[in-house]
Amino acid sequence: MTMDTIRSREQRTAWIFLLPALLLLLLVFGYPIFRAFWLSLFTENLGTKLQPVFSGIDNYLRMVGDGRFWQSFWTTTVFTVISVLLELALGLGIALVLNQRFFGRGAVRTIAIIPWALPTALIGLAWAWIFNDQFGVVNDILLRLGLIKTGINWLGEPFLAMIAVIFADVWKTTPFISIILLAGLQSISLDLYEAHAIDGATPWQSFRQITLPLLMPQILIAMLFRFAQAFGIFDLISVMTGGGPGGATEVVSLYIYATVMRYLDFGYGAALVVVTFLLLIVAVAIASLLLRKLQTSENNS
Amino acid sequence: MLSQKAHNNRQILQQLKFSAAIFLAVILGSILVSSQPVFSQKALVLNLLMTGPDAQPWKEGIVADFEAKNPGIKINVIEGPNATNLIEDLYTSAFILGDSPYDIVNMDIIWAPKFAAAGWLLDLTERMSTEELAQFSPKDIAGGIYEGKLYRIPMRSDVGMLYYRADLLKKAGLKPPESFPDLVKIFQTLKQQGKVQWGYLWQGKQYEGLSAMFVEVLEGFGGFWVNPKTLEVGLDRQETLDAIAFLKQTIQDGVSPPGVTTYQEEETRRIFQNGQAAFLRNWPYVWPLANKEDSPIKAKIAIKPMVGAAGKDGGACLGGWGLGIAKNSKYPEQAWRAIQYFTSEEAQRKFILNAGFVPSRRALFTDPEVVAKYPHYPQILEVVDKAVLRPPIAQYAQASDILQRYLSAALTNRLTPENAMKAAAAETRRLLGK
Repeated sequence: MTMDTIRSREQRTAWIFLLPALLLLLLVFGYPIFRAFWLSLFTENLGTKLQPVFSGIDNYLRMVGDGRFWQSFWTTTVFTVISVLLELALGLGIALVLNQRFFGRGAVRTIAIIPWALPTALIGLAWAWIFNDQFGVVNDILLRLGLIKTGINWLGEPFLAMIAVIFADVWKTTPFISIILLAGLQSISLDLYEAHAIDGATPWQSFRQITLPLLMPQILIAMLFRFAQAFGIFDLISVMTGGGPGGATEVVSLYIYATVMRYLDFGYGAALVVVTFLLLIVAVAIASLLLRKLQTSENNS
Repeated sequence: MLSQKAHNNRQILQQLKFSAAIFLAVILGSILVSSQPVFSQKALVLNLLMTGPDAQPWKEGIVADFEAKNPGIKINVIEGPNATNLIEDLYTSAFILGDSPYDIVNMDIIWAPKFAAAGWLLDLTERMSTEELAQFSPKDIAGGIYEGKLYRIPMRSDVGMLYYRADLLKKAGLKPPESFPDLVKIFQTLKQQGKVQWGYLWQGKQYEGLSAMFVEVLEGFGGFWVNPKTLEVGLDRQETLDAIAFLKQTIQDGVSPPGVTTYQEEETRRIFQNGQAAFLRNWPYVWPLANKEDSPIKAKIAIKPMVGAAGKDGGACLGGWGLGIAKNSKYPEQAWRAIQYFTSEEAQRKFILNAGFVPSRRALFTDPEVVAKYPHYPQILEVVDKAVLRPPIAQYAQASDILQRYLSAALTNRLTPENAMKAAAAETRRLLGK
């Protein structure tokens, strides 16, 4: 028996063992993705009485001239980038605090995770009331402080509504990032800091040269998770503004929902899903590439 | 001490058993109760979904009457959320799944073509004779027709109209306006006399109400949005641009407040009711509110059909509710009997006297009993006769969203009217496959 035959037999065994998992993946991920792609090649809407009619790339051509799609795509991008960056900064801060030893740390850690554990739709409802122009707490506080004279219509102004939904999202998902980063912080050996301090490093230098590089894997994971989640955000915005005022907070998933549920335009909805999916993959690839580059350059220095 | 503890433990155990027994009993009971309808299916229940507040006048009157007259048929009025778009979503998700729980479909006029095109409704064409149909406002019937077949019988109408301050006009010796230029002139006179702050209030926010308001102005300038027969799109024609120019002019000249581009019906009604404006475009619901005891304009207002450009007739956007039958209803015959009753003259009269809605049967506008309670109804009939439909096409929801987006952009100066309407027309044409 030569090495080659042993090897090929091993490989065959490996494939047999992998097969169930591959089949499962294909069924759970491959099929829906392929199905969406297939459906996007058909026109299936009220114009065709909900019957699929093959139309090639018609749906994609239509998307090029669809101002609403591009606006919602831009809105989603702005929402995602701003909220993820804010969450990262705040989450890192909270993680650093929670990593310190202080009285009642266990209780504070538990409390800090609560916003993330609550159901998003309820949180959306709560924030919609908090930002309500007549009865909202935000306006009440600002009025009492004398910062404003009349109540601000937070959810009625395009720019302010965007701020409100980002604020709510940051509040809700910062704990997720801080928990991941906290886990990362706890895996960093204290000896490193001690040695660094003996070498005469300031706390800031320690943070820059030890904490950040060693935390990079966790930051990367947290960012990727949050990026994908924020890009697909639906529930929070749907409950808080429904995409309004005037479509100012309409994100891609809300537009897709309207296309499928209100317009019954299944083919075009599928095309929207496919394009969003591809753009998201490209964005994630670029982001992780940049981060990896950052990481290697950090390591080299 | 020890026996005391054991005793306590036993007590706790007994309590636990007791509460476990109660828990089981509750679960069993609720299973039995919830499966009850399966057993009593023979009583024949027709399900009917509507917004919560709308359900009250139904339950109080006509449903009970129908059940008394038709023993063996029960109407189950399901109270949905108080937002028509959520009701539409509920219908849609139920119908997409195939086995809909609703028998009678209570439809906004703009849903009918969509539901019909999707194949969710039963064709009612054969069930109504032409004489019977002639009893209703023709446009209201037309709104329920898709590709030549009838799917919706109107039950409750709604029309947009012009409210004006009859007292101020009378004092100034002015006649009600016949056209938009008239309206502006009257306002300027009243303003010089210091009587009112604003002239004309309309709904300019980006929402369905914007489309409703705009079809009226468009009609008043002789334009059209989408021709339902040929699917021709008229949004980039000169008439449309004239209509937009007029609306923009009202803001520029201070005839309409700048905030008008963010107003829905209620904002405009409040300003009008405070006595700050001379004219208002709105639906019939304003009348009883404006004539309430504590209203500053009680008994000072009048209505007339919407005006248009000089020498042209305005239009009245038709809204309202009608009834159809779900295609997969198990009891289409009984559902039809219920619809016949609910849309009958007798039932409508009762419904209207009770709830104050606008009827869909022409005869009721001048019915002595109705007029005794609502003296302004004969005038509403004048408005109804000038009704215009938002295009009864299957893709209306999408077409309306396109118009709202671009019209709002034009009104708030984010785009020039020409560019906005060119884009809107192009997108609508692409949508309709033209």
